[in-house]
Amino acid sequence: MTKLRRGITGFILRRVVLGLLTLFFVSLIVFAATQALPSDPARAILGRTATPDSLKALREQLDLNHSVVYQYTHWLGSFVTGDLGHSLAARGEPVTAVLGSRFKNSAFLVLIAAVISVPLSIFLGVIAARRRDGPLDHALSLSLLGLAALPEFVVGISLVLLFATRVFHWLPAVSLIPPGDAPWQHLKEIVLPTVTLVLAVSPYIARIMRASMVEVLESDYVEMARLKGLPEREVLWRHAVPNAVAPAIQVIALNLAYLAGGIIVVEFVFAYPGIGSALVDAVNNRDLPIVQALAVLIAGVYVFFNVLADIATILVSPRLRTSLR
Amino acid sequence: MTDGRPDGGSQGHLTRADLFRRAAAGGVVLAGSGVLGESAMAGIDAIDAATPKRGGTFRIGVSGGSTKDFIDGQNIVTVPDQARIVTGWETLLVFDSKFKLAFNGLAESIEHNKQGNVWTIRVRSGIEFHNGKTLSADDVIYSLKRLINPKLGLFGGAALKSIDPNRIKKLDKRTVRLTLKQPDGTLLDALGQYIAGIVPVGYSPDAVGKANPNIGTGPYKLKSFTPGQQSVHVRNPNYWRSGQPYFDQVVIIDFPDDTARVNALLGGQVDAITDVPPAQVAVVNGHGGTKVLESPSAAWRPICMRVDAAPFDDVRVRQAFRLIANRPQMVQQALAGHGKIGNDLYGIFDEAFASDLPQRKQDIDKAKSLLKAAGKDGLTVDLQTTSGALGMNEGAQVFAQQAKAAGVTVNVKILDSGAFYGDQYLKWPLSTDFWGSRNYLSQVAAGSLPTSPYNETHWPDAKDQNFLSLYNQALRTVDRVKQREILHEMQKLEYDNGGYIIWGFTTLLDGYSTKVKGLKTGDKGVLSLNAFGHGYRTIWFG
Repeated sequence: MTKLRRGITGFILRRVVLGLLTLFFVSLIVFAATQALPSDPARAILGRTATPDSLKALREQLDLNHSVVYQYTHWLGSFVTGDLGHSLAARGEPVTAVLGSRFKNSAFLVLIAAVISVPLSIFLGVIAARRRDGPLDHALSLSLLGLAALPEFVVGISLVLLFATRVFHWLPAVSLIPPGDAPWQHLKEIVLPTVTLVLAVSPYIARIMRASMVEVLESDYVEMARLKGLPEREVLWRHAVPNAVAPAIQVIALNLAYLAGGIIVVEFVFAYPGIGSALVDAVNNRDLPIVQALAVLIAGVYVFFNVLADIATILVSPRLRTSLR
Repeated sequence: MTDGRPDGGSQGHLTRADLFRRAAAGGVVLAGSGVLGESAMAGIDAIDAATPKRGGTFRIGVSGGSTKDFIDGQNIVTVPDQARIVTGWETLLVFDSKFKLAFNGLAESIEHNKQGNVWTIRVRSGIEFHNGKTLSADDVIYSLKRLINPKLGLFGGAALKSIDPNRIKKLDKRTVRLTLKQPDGTLLDALGQYIAGIVPVGYSPDAVGKANPNIGTGPYKLKSFTPGQQSVHVRNPNYWRSGQPYFDQVVIIDFPDDTARVNALLGGQVDAITDVPPAQVAVVNGHGGTKVLESPSAAWRPICMRVDAAPFDDVRVRQAFRLIANRPQMVQQALAGHGKIGNDLYGIFDEAFASDLPQRKQDIDKAKSLLKAAGKDGLTVDLQTTSGALGMNEGAQVFAQQAKAAGVTVNVKILDSGAFYGDQYLKWPLSTDFWGSRNYLSQVAAGSLPTSPYNETHWPDAKDQNFLSLYNQALRTVDRVKQREILHEMQKLEYDNGGYIIWGFTTLLDGYSTKVKGLKTGDKGVLSLNAFGHGYRTIWFG
């Protein structure tokens, strides 16, 4: 057991170090990309209203007259000490102040969507596999495929038409969460964006779960369990599902990571005050500190879920577990 | 996305006309006590046949918006900035619903000498800022100096360049005298721009938009503000126009996405929105309980040709391109018909507008022969554009289609706004742009002179001093009829040789819930929703 733990600890450590390295490269690439964008923050912020006077005034105010290398190293130096810097567009507000409540809003949305979509899609996958080639399976497959093919904004707008503006007037069409309020104080406003996200990620997880489950149900040990006379429910949920989940974990992780980025579109459709809309805005404004902070954050979520998935896969697969020894 | 239409710029009217009419009469008192705007108000009341009611929270969804939003009584960048500036700040005089300047603002009178270079401003008595301080000459002096301070780079300052900061003199506690660098017939236009707000002495000492306290004389006081999201404004109980405003509270919410904004209105989460996309007009009107407010504007969408860069340095190429444009089709397709066709001339609300010049029509044969004469048949050009305002990209694409008939290949390059308004802005040989409603001379100063801050076409040709001397002559000319002749001559020059293809003027399309009363259709719009209900004070819940 101690040996096992060391094996896993070493593995995790290696993964975390690699993850941090990935984040470093991401920050470098994002920085380079923002530099490659034409225009500078002062021009991007002032847009059509720029005059030579106002450009000069803003450039001085934002302290933009430094070299590219200085800007990056300065940013990196502050970042590793936990200082995210100051937003350019918000005229020097700390990045944490600009993003604080938005981060809370997005995190809550992703969390709710994950908590609903993961069990739901596993359940759907299991049911479909169990009723393989039956009418329920076909119906599920068809609708899941259809949903997977639809972009989120189509799903989102259709939900709005159906539940908020045209057919029924049950739910708010946009998610207005006043600054200062927590998202859980406005649950009604969160229903439609959550459903949109759930519909966006569930089909993938459900389908991989179904495929994996079909394979497991045909395996010898499931047959063995059945022959032993175990009730079908127990065969399904105690013996088959845990083994079927392992291959699905990677897909679940990828989809959860996708949620972190995928909310950008959904937030836009629902005018949800989260990091997605902040990122779009920051890129338009060439607001480098915000872009960097969000890129690293979203990449961090990807890395985190991937490491988590690797670990979970190992923990649930005895074969991999032993190979680490 | 981005800045919607905050060309915020200006507007302008009557100034020159009124100014010099009275100047000609000799003495000159431009004023009275704010009647024009009030009579417009009476008209509204009559239409609604109801007395305004007090109370309620008015929520408005505004297009654009970003963390770069700010609230400054004298500056704007985004459309939500426009929606917010009118809550708390007021100007010396204002443009009324017919786009005429009215002495309905903070100034009781503005007088000037015969040459038009010495101006005396007198403010009304008893007007208070939000902190209770009485408006005085010192505030006016501070406000004007702040507007033209190049270190602050305020948007409204560009139109006030004739003011000499060293020759502003306080005559008494309500009176200020300005001695201009040169006579300037556009001064009143510039003072009537909504971005020329009057702020208290000491306002915004260190940074733009960070004034503390952020106060003006307007109908609502700022309560809270989160850039990129929303702001809350509460009724100013000491407001100087009796009875107004009517709402207890105004909430201004950013909606960069068109669909979300329209949905918020349809779903009843907001009471009004700016900028209904033309394709959604029928939806909003057909929904029941919501309507679209249409306001004709003098805002225009040009295609700009640089008169000093190949191939457009040859006037025949410019003329050919102007003949390629099928304007009715462009307005129909790019603005979904919600607009008015243009004739390559701006300033359509100006009484000096040269409406007698024949409407230019598509003439492909003539365009072809002009191009051939210039040795430019089979021309290929890039047209740079961005979604800075409705119709820019669409107009460019329709134009590119039309150009094919003349054997011209127009490659439309759609850039993001940061790139478009980047270092190359005002340098593209061929590009689109957008402009707000201005009077003729104000527009010339803003975009058609070597000294203009936004001269896309580089008009007038450096070799030809004719236009420039006519402009200077116009500023000095006291006789109104004569001045009008000069302006006509200037417009003729631009009509024949200019670098703009002005294919259309837009109509402002805004949405509102029918429980909002006091909005008036057909208002000659500069800002959305009757200038946001004139600072949310001429509208109320019925």
